[in-house]
Parts: sequence; C-alpha cells; structure tokens
Amino acid sequence: MKRAYLELKKLTKSFGKGQDMVVAVDAIDLDVQEGELVTLLGPSGCGKTTTLRMIAGFHTPTSGDVLIDGVAVNEIPPNKRPTAMVFQNYALFPHMTVFENIAYGLRIRRESDEQVKEKVGRIMNLIGLEGLADRQPRQLSGGQQQRVSLARAMVMEPKVLLFDEPLSNLDAKLRVSTRLEIRKLQQRLGITSVYVTHDQEEAMTLSDKVVIMDRGKIQQIGSPVEIYSHPANRFVAGFMGKANFLEATVKELGESEVVLEYCGKTITAPRWDKSIKTGDEATIVVRPESVFLDPPREDLIEGTVVNSVYFGSQMLYEVEMPDGKLLQAEIADPQDHLLFDKGHSVGLSFKSRSLHVLAKE
Amino acid sequence: MKQHSKSRIQQINEIKKLIREPFLFISILVIFYLLIVFVIFPIFQVFKTSFMVDGHFTLKNYRDVLRQSYYIRPLFNSILLGVLVATIGTFVGFVFAYAITRTPMRGKGIFRLIATFPMVSPPFVVALACILLFGRAGIFAGLLGNIYGLTGLTIVETIAYAPTAFLALIGVLQAIDPSLEEAAMDCGASRGKVFSTIILPLALPGIVSAWLLVFIQSLADFGTPMILSGNYQVLSVQAYLQITGMFDLARGSTLAILLLLPTVIAFYLQKYLLSKKSYVTVTGKPTSATIKNLEWYIKYPVYAMCLIFAFIVLLFYGMVVWGSFQKLWGVDSTLTLRNYVQMWKIGKKYIKDSLLLSFIVTPITGVLGMFIAYLISRKQFVGRNLMEFSSMLTFAVPGTVVGIGYILAFNNPSFFMPVTLTGTSIIIIALLIFRNLPVGIRNGVAAIEQIDPSIEEASIDLGADSGVTFRKVTLPMITPAFFSGLANCFVRSMTAISAIIFVVSGRWNFITVAVLGFVDNSQYAQAAAMSLLLISIVLLALGVIQIITNRLGKGMQSFSIIEQ
Repeated sequence: MKRAYLELKKLTKSFGKGQDMVVAVDAIDLDVQEGELVTLLGPSGCGKTTTLRMIAGFHTPTSGDVLIDGVAVNEIPPNKRPTAMVFQNYALFPHMTVFENIAYGLRIRRESDEQVKEKVGRIMNLIGLEGLADRQPRQLSGGQQQRVSLARAMVMEPKVLLFDEPLSNLDAKLRVSTRLEIRKLQQRLGITSVYVTHDQEEAMTLSDKVVIMDRGKIQQIGSPVEIYSHPANRFVAGFMGKANFLEATVKELGESEVVLEYCGKTITAPRWDKSIKTGDEATIVVRPESVFLDPPREDLIEGTVVNSVYFGSQMLYEVEMPDGKLLQAEIADPQDHLLFDKGHSVGLSFKSRSLHVLAKE
Repeated sequence: MKQHSKSRIQQINEIKKLIREPFLFISILVIFYLLIVFVIFPIFQVFKTSFMVDGHFTLKNYRDVLRQSYYIRPLFNSILLGVLVATIGTFVGFVFAYAITRTPMRGKGIFRLIATFPMVSPPFVVALACILLFGRAGIFAGLLGNIYGLTGLTIVETIAYAPTAFLALIGVLQAIDPSLEEAAMDCGASRGKVFSTIILPLALPGIVSAWLLVFIQSLADFGTPMILSGNYQVLSVQAYLQITGMFDLARGSTLAILLLLPTVIAFYLQKYLLSKKSYVTVTGKPTSATIKNLEWYIKYPVYAMCLIFAFIVLLFYGMVVWGSFQKLWGVDSTLTLRNYVQMWKIGKKYIKDSLLLSFIVTPITGVLGMFIAYLISRKQFVGRNLMEFSSMLTFAVPGTVVGIGYILAFNNPSFFMPVTLTGTSIIIIALLIFRNLPVGIRNGVAAIEQIDPSIEEASIDLGADSGVTFRKVTLPMITPAFFSGLANCFVRSMTAISAIIFVVSGRWNFITVAVLGFVDNSQYAQAAAMSLLLISIVLLALGVIQIITNRLGKGMQSFSIIEQ
C-alpha cells in the first residue's frame, strides 16, 4: 500500500498544567492519502480544530508527530510549512484589495510580477472571482469573501490544504452550493485536504473519509457510507445522522445474521461485530427511515403514536415503545401509506438490512 | 451630525415638539446659555483681545509677536518639544501595548497598572521627581547635564503622556484580529514580514492618532515647563507670564491663540483619522487570540523595554516618596515627618479648598455630562450639532487658553454675566465643570449608544415623557458609565493646573498651585509631601468609586475608570 501523504502519529496536545490540564487532542493516529479530502467531524471542544492547527503549525504538539510527504514538520514554523489554511472568519487582509490578498503569499515567496499576475488571474477565474481584483474585502459579500480566502490558500499550491469550518458563516443555501464547488475543485486539482466541521451533512457530502472525534479521541474513521451504516459506537451513530437505540439480548448467531430478542419479539439483523456472543446484551441502531408502521399485528412490536408531523415528502412519527422509550420513524411518500394519528396503536417492523448491532458499552 | 440639509418645515416641527415638552425645552435653553457663557464667550474673548487694539480690528499683535524672535521662539520650542514627546511617547506606548496584547509576558496586570499610573497624578509630580533625581542637589546630579530645558521636559512629559498613547494603542492592537496574522504566516510570511505588512499598516491610523493625542497634551502642558523649562521657553508658560507678570493681556492672548492653532489642527486631524478607522474585522467571528511562541529576538527586547520604562516610573514616584521624608534634600538625609507637618500648616487651606470645590464640581459635571450626552445622542432639536460642538470644545483647547479666556471674560460684568466672577469660588467651579464636561459627555454617549432606542420608545409608548424616561429607564442603565465619569472628573479636578492657576485667588486656592509654589521656593520636600497627599486622595477616591461601580455594575457593561 502506498505510504500516506499526511500522517499524524500519536499526536497529542494538552493545555494548562497540573490540575487545570486539559487534553484537547489525545494520541490520535491518522493517515491521509494523496488527493484525498478527509473531514474531522465532531461536536465543539472535541479537538478537531486543535488538530488542524497542529497540522498548520499554529499549535506545537505536546507529543507525537505530524508528517507531510514523509517529512516530520513538528519543528517547522507555520510560515515554512507546505500547508495553507482557509479560515473560519476568512481572515482577509482588510487593507489590501482582492488581488493583493491572493498575491500576498506569492509575493512573500518573491515570485516574479508576471508569475504572480498569471497565477492569481488563473485562480480567480477558476474560483469565479473575475472582475473583483480591485475590490476591498469589505465591499464583497460573505460568499465572495469566502472564495477569496479559498483562492489565497489554493494559489500557494500547498501540499495540504486545510479548512477550518469555512462555511459556517454563510447562509444555508450558499453553504450547500459552495461545498459542492469546493469538492469539485478539490477533486479536479487533486489537492490533499483536511476539513474541519461540526456539520454532519457537510462532512458526508464532501469527504472521501470522515474522522469522527469526541473528547480528543478518534471514535471512527471511514467513508461516509461505512460510518452511517456501521457506526462503531453509540456516539458515532447518534452524531452521524439520526438514530434510535433499542436495548436487546442476543438469542442466536448465524453465519451472517444475528437474532435478537426485544420486548418479547425477535429482530434479525446483519452480523457485523464478530465479538458478540449468544446471551450478550446489545444495542440495535435503528435509523428512522428503516422503520415500517402497520396496524398492530401479533408478530409486530406494538407501540403508541405520541406525535406525528407531516412534511409533505415524508411523515415523522414519535412512537412510544413497550419499554417506555420513544422511537422516531420517518415514512417517505406518506401518500402511499396508511397514516396514523396521535394515540393510535401501531405495529412496528424494521428493514433488516439496515439495522446495526453494537455490543453493550 | 446626520442631517445637514434639514427643511424649514422639519425645523419648525422640531420646535413645536420641543415646546410640548417644557422640561426638555427649558433645559436645552439653560444648557445653551451656560455653554455660551462658560465655553464660547471666554474663548471668543481671547480672540478678540488678540485682534483688537483700542477698539479696532488689527493684526498688530501678531505682527509684533512674529517679528520678535523673543516671542516666536516659544512657538518653535513648544512644537519641537511636542514632536519629541509624541514620537518617543507613542513608541513607548506601542511597545507596551504590543507586549500586553501580543506576547505571553508575565505580570501583565502590574505592568498595565504601572504604565497607566502617571495618568492619575499631575504631570508636575514627575517633574518634581526629575529635580530630586537629576537636579542640582539630586542623587544623579549632572548625569544628564542641565535638567532645566529640553532634555528634562522631554523625559518628564514622555513619562507623563506615554500612558495616553499606551491606552489608545492597546485598543487598536486588540482590534486587529489575530487570525490575520495567522493567515499571513500561513502564506509564508515571517514574523517580521507579518509585522511590516499586516500589523503596522492596520495600526497606522491608530498610531498617528495616538501621536497626535500626545502632541496635544505636550503642547498644552503647563505644570512641567513651569517647573523645568529653565531657559527653554514654551508657549503655555510664556502666555501665563505675559499676563500675570507683565499684565500684557493682548500679548498673552496672542500667544494663547498661537498655542491654540496647532492644538486644534492636531485635534481635528486626530478626530478625522479616528472616524476613518475602517480596518476592523470584516466579517465572521473573530477567532480567539492565541499567543504564539514568539522568537526570542522579539520577545526579549520588548520585555526589556517594558521593564526599563516600568522601572523609570517606579524610580520617579519612589523618589517623591523618599524625598518627602528627608530633612533637607541632598544635604541632610535624616528621616523626618517634619515636611508633612509644615506642608499641613501651610497647605491646609489649599487642601480644604481643593477638596470642597472638587466635591461640588464632580456630581454637577457627572449629571450635566450625562444629560447632554442623552440630548446629543437621543434627541432631535435645532442646534444639536452646535451643542455637541461647543460642549466638546474645551477638550481641544489648552488650559492656558481657557484660563486666559476666563480672566478676560469675568474680570468685569458683561452682557452675558452681569456680575464679576473673578476671585469667587463660582469661577473655579464653572471652569472645572466645563473643562471636565467633554470626558463625561464622551463616556455618556458611548454608554447610551449601547442601549437599544426601542427600550426608551417602549417607555414613551407606555405614557412616560422624556424626563421620566430618562430618569426611570435610561439613567439606571448608564449608571456604571456615570460613576466612571465621576471618578474621571474628580481626578481631573484635583490634578488640574494649567487653567486653574489663572482663576485662583487669596480666598479660593488649589492644592496643585500650592505644590508649584513649594517648588518655586525650592521647598522640594514639602512639595513632595503635598504631591503624595494629592495622589493618595485621588487613589482613595478612585478606589471608593470603583467599589461603588462594582456593586452597581454587576451584569452591566463595566467601564474602566482610567480613561483619557
């Protein structure tokens, strides 16, 4: 296998000393292949931004290493590192025009005037900033400022491009279109990128690989599909998409299936985690879209609708389960289905293939 | 200053609205009367006296002054001194502000305190310390040559006014988003390059503005050159001597106007620069400041400069303390309390007068300042801009000019003021109120503009009139700013000298004048003792008001008491 282009080895960062010490990033390992876009996803305070800033060189690791293209860069100050960052607040130089902002790094590098002009012109066309060269940053819209920030980082042709929640200051619509553009551009140019976000939708649509972080530790690394369908633990399942958790007992183990008992009924799910044994307690992850609702029947789990919300394209239900917990269900195309009102009894069943069983934590 | 082209109908409507609120209407009239009498009229008198000879308009006074090198010299001297003090002071202030905002220096709180301490003491205390250190009988006598002149003035005024630059620049540097520096470094810029291409250009308007502020303060300083100028004549002292020594009102006024001109120019340049400071963060949330590993060749020189300046400040003030306990400075260093006893015997009346007058002035200035701030920022009325301009005018005008103006305006009864005020306590009280008003107004405007107007509209909507709304709604919300305004006014009143010296009399005198008197008689030890008493009173008052503000200001925006 090809050696990873960006490697983090046992990377650790702690702040403060003694009793007040906070470990922001706790011995994480991560490999990023050349041309890949990897997202660091997690709630605020999970250590994702600290990790990114250690890659950029703004934080010095407490221990561990950052390797870019096989070279340890720990001792290299940020201005000498082959990384470029797109900042959350864009960090455009307010006293310079758009052109000067983008040209800043090239000028520092002492590239010739023609070269600067040519490169800046090219990147501005690529990113859709034509005709804005002489504007001041404050004359630009939020989306345009974001592009300038992106152009300023990309024009440096960094080995690794870093994104620090670059879309969090844009409105919802612009966020969706901009993230598609970033993805297209990144794939076209094949830039190795690390992208920090707390928005799971953003992470899913952008990434080759998603890294889920919580409390300074990596919870799971995988493609968006892997993470969504086979979350490693409850935290990941709950953070990536919506999830219901059913507490069940393992009855039988097949070659590729697990049979579980839940409230006196049996549920069959794919066998994924080979460590699970018969008699174990386990958690079944049920995505709301893999729930079926029917009129109550002997072989179905019986529940009571406590809430229903109509969205046009789908119907959201909250159902009280026999064990007293609430379960969320999403029924697509409600026109094709029998609808239930608040207080109705319903029979529940699940799309077997999309269930996921977790060992009891 | 929003509406310059207002239609006549609008104006009439505004007047009609005013008449419907008699309390507001009458108070606006009263304020205008007071501003005309105590601000505009005295300054006008200075102009008039400098341009009128025997009832005719003439430039004779100016021709005389400009022709004789004896008079033109002080103008150049004042400007040269101002340029030196402003340049060195701004540099020191910048280094301090940089150390506080951009380095992981230890003991920032203490450095901050030391760097702002000279603001609560009258500048001539530093001058006194300078004599104790480097004067003829000083510990380091002769080390700096003759201390009476440009060298001494520059050192003392730099210590006294670098804090102004420091406070202005700390705000400027804090406003520069640290992520800009990170972005520049990320693009490959070295620390030096970040400084020259990002920090310096962004801070430049602020630096120039701080420079101008210090320049203005140096030009207007009276106490320091009074003690230390020697043969190096400056305008403020020369104008004073012309009037009190030679009784030449015309020439004194002319020198005062020459002092006023560069000050006003500098003041308006500074205001213009501040109004154009556009380089604040453009969008987005500013990332929290991260103090990075600074290179040693940046860190250590900065630390060293901070230490040296802090040491100098401590040395100077320490010298005043030390000097106040010595039997005879430079001759007999037996420790004694005799100076305090003597100082008290002679100075009791001065201290009592100063305290009494400052206690009268402070609350009046506080309330009036807040009220004018409220009118300016919340009410529309004819002459609002004029009110703003004239109430802020004394801020730009050097104390010497104001003092001369008060003598000219109130020595005799006039149309505006039918009784003679000279020699009374009223003239001192009025002078202090209107000298200190601009700071109170500025504080107040800043506080009021943080209050959403819809809160006041809600009160009016529920049936309260302007007066009730102000008392019940606006006033409680601006209380912290009000108390910090009081503190400010008290400090400025107790330490005032440049204008006060013209209006004191046998009946009503002032502690700062007494200190100058001691220095004049070479009674340095008594001067030191009295200066310390003055500083202690000021610190005590600041402490009390700080406690009150903390009690009241919980959850509200707190205002720093020491503000220029």
